Amino acid sequence: MAFKKDPQVFGAKITEVAFGADGASAVFGGGNTLPLYSFDAETRHRPLVGIEFSDKGPDRSLPGLAEFYEGADSLTDVAARACMAQGADFVSLVLESADPNGDDIPSEDAAALAKEAAKAAAGSGKPIVIQGTGNVDKDQELIPKIAEALQGMSALLLSAKEENYKGIAVAAVTAYGQKIGAESSVDINLAKQLNVLIAQMGIQPADYVMNLGTAAAGYGFEYIASTIERVKLAALSQNDDALQMPVITPVALDAWSVKEAVVSEEDFPEWGPREERGVQMEISTAAAALAAGSDAVILRHPASVKTVSELVTALV
Amino acid sequence: MDKFIIIGERIHCISPVIKEALANRDPAPLIARGREQLESGATYLDFNIGPAERDGEEIMKWGVKLLQENLDNVPLALDTVNQKAIEAGISVYNRSKGKPVINSADAGDRLDNIDLAAANDAIVIALCSKQGVPRDNDERMQYCQEMLEYAMELGMDTEDLWFDPLTLVIKGMQEKQVEYLQFIRQLSDMGLNSTAGLSNASNGMPKEVRPVVDSVLMAMAMECGLTSAIMNPNDKRLMDTIKTAEVIMNRSLYADSYLEL
Repeated sequence: MAFKKDPQVFGAKITEVAFGADGASAVFGGGNTLPLYSFDAETRHRPLVGIEFSDKGPDRSLPGLAEFYEGADSLTDVAARACMAQGADFVSLVLESADPNGDDIPSEDAAALAKEAAKAAAGSGKPIVIQGTGNVDKDQELIPKIAEALQGMSALLLSAKEENYKGIAVAAVTAYGQKIGAESSVDINLAKQLNVLIAQMGIQPADYVMNLGTAAAGYGFEYIASTIERVKLAALSQNDDALQMPVITPVALDAWSVKEAVVSEEDFPEWGPREERGVQMEISTAAAALAAGSDAVILRHPASVKTVSELVTALV
Repeated sequence: MDKFIIIGERIHCISPVIKEALANRDPAPLIARGREQLESGATYLDFNIGPAERDGEEIMKWGVKLLQENLDNVPLALDTVNQKAIEAGISVYNRSKGKPVINSADAGDRLDNIDLAAANDAIVIALCSKQGVPRDNDERMQYCQEMLEYAMELGMDTEDLWFDPLTLVIKGMQEKQVEYLQFIRQLSDMGLNSTAGLSNASNGMPKEVRPVVDSVLMAMAMECGLTSAIMNPNDKRLMDTIKTAEVIMNRSLYADSYLEL
C-alpha cells in the first residue's frame, strides 16, 4: 500500500509579531504546524536568530569573540559589528551595567545606551531586542525610560513580569508603541495568566511575545522544553488564544554561565578550549529550544549564530 | 481533543420577545440575544422558529442573513420541523465560520433530514429515538446505528452527525439518568460526536434549583464524553462549570483568571 501523507495542520496559528522600524524589521510567529514541521505546511516565518552584546562590551578574553569585535570599541561600533554576524536576524543589547547588583547606572543613562545601540542597529538594517536587568524594581523604572528613548523604533523590550507588567505594558506599548516580552519562569499557568492580564489592559496580541524561561541544556532544560511544548500544543490544538504569542528564548546568559562554559582550559585541559565549549552549549541549548517550539533564540557568539541559523535553514 | 461546543439556545420562538420579533421582522432582539450568547462563549447559535408552517422559508432566510451579517458569520443551527424552511436557510447560509447544523433528525419520521444534511454538506443533530422516548440504551443504540449507516450510505462524514441521547426529565424519570450518561459514554467510545439539550433534565423544578442540576449534569455528561450541548450560555454557573470541567480534563490550560476567559 502506498504511503499516504497526512499533514498535521492546525486550524489555529501562532500570532505574527513584527518588531523594528522600516528597513530594519523582523517578524516571528504565524505558523500552524508543530515546531519545525515544515513538511506539514509551509512555514510562515522561520524561527529567528539574534545576536546579543553587552553595553560593557564583548568578553575579549575569548579569542574568537575578540577577533569578531576587533576595532569595535564604542557601543555604536559593537552594535554595528553584531549586525554583520552571519545568520543574525536581529541584535540584542543586554544592559548589564544597569544591574542593581553591579554598576547600577541610572535608568536615564541606560536608556541613552539603548538608544545608541538601537540607532546603530537600525543604521545597519537590523531590529533590536533590549534585555533589561531582570531585576523587577529596576526594570519597572528602566523599561519605560527605554521605551521613551526608542520612540518610533518599535523595539522588543524584555521583560515584563508578574510583578511589574502593568507599568511596563502601559508605558512601552500603549504610550510609545514598542513590543514587550512577557516573562514567566517555567510556570505554564503563570505564563497564561500573565498573557491574560496583559490582554486585559488592552494590549493587542501582535504587541507582545512570551519568554517562558531559559536554562542551559543539561541544567533542568527538560522543564523548559516541556513548558514550551505544552504552550504550543494549547495554542495550536486547543486554539487557546491566551497562548498563541510567539516564544522568544534568550539562551546566551545561561549557556555561558554553566561549568562547561566557565572553567578554564588550564584547569580542565581534557575539555579543550573554553570558547569552543561555550559555543557548543549555546548551539545545543538553542537547537533544543527551537525543537521544543521557540520562535526566536538569542545567542552571544557569532559562531553559534551562524550554526543555528544554518540549522534552521536546513530544517525549514 | 476538540473544545466543548456550546450551542446558544436563546433565539427560540417560545420566548415572547423572540416570537414578537419574528412576527414583526424586528432585527434588534435577535441580534442582541445572539451577541449576548456569543460574548458569553457560545460557538453556534440555535435559531428556532417553531413549526412556522406558513412563512417558515421567508423567516428562516431573513433570520440567517440577519444573524450572520451582524454577528461575523456566526455558525447557526437551523431549528424547525419545516424542512423547506431549513433548505431556504441553507440557501443563504455563509459557511466561512462553520457548516450549518440541521436541528434535527431522528430514526423515524425525520430521518429524511439526514438526506437534507447529506445533500447540503451540513451537520445534523441525530436524536436517538424513533417514536417518543427510547425504552433503554439498546434501543438508543439501535437508532443510532440505523442513522449512522443511513448517513454513511449517503456519503456523509460520521463526524457531521451529532448524536443526541435524548435528555430525560429527572422529575419522573430519575431512574433513567445513569443509563443516559452511560449512553453518552458509548457514543464517545465509538468516537462519535454528541450533543444534548441538557436543561430538559431539570424541567419542572423550582427556578433556584435548576442551575445546580443543569451544572452538575453537565459536568457528569462532559466526563462521559459529551462533545457539545444546546444550552443557555448566559447561565454563569453553567459556563463556569464547563470551563472548570475543561480544566480538570486537561483540555484547557489553567490560569488564575480562567473563569473570565
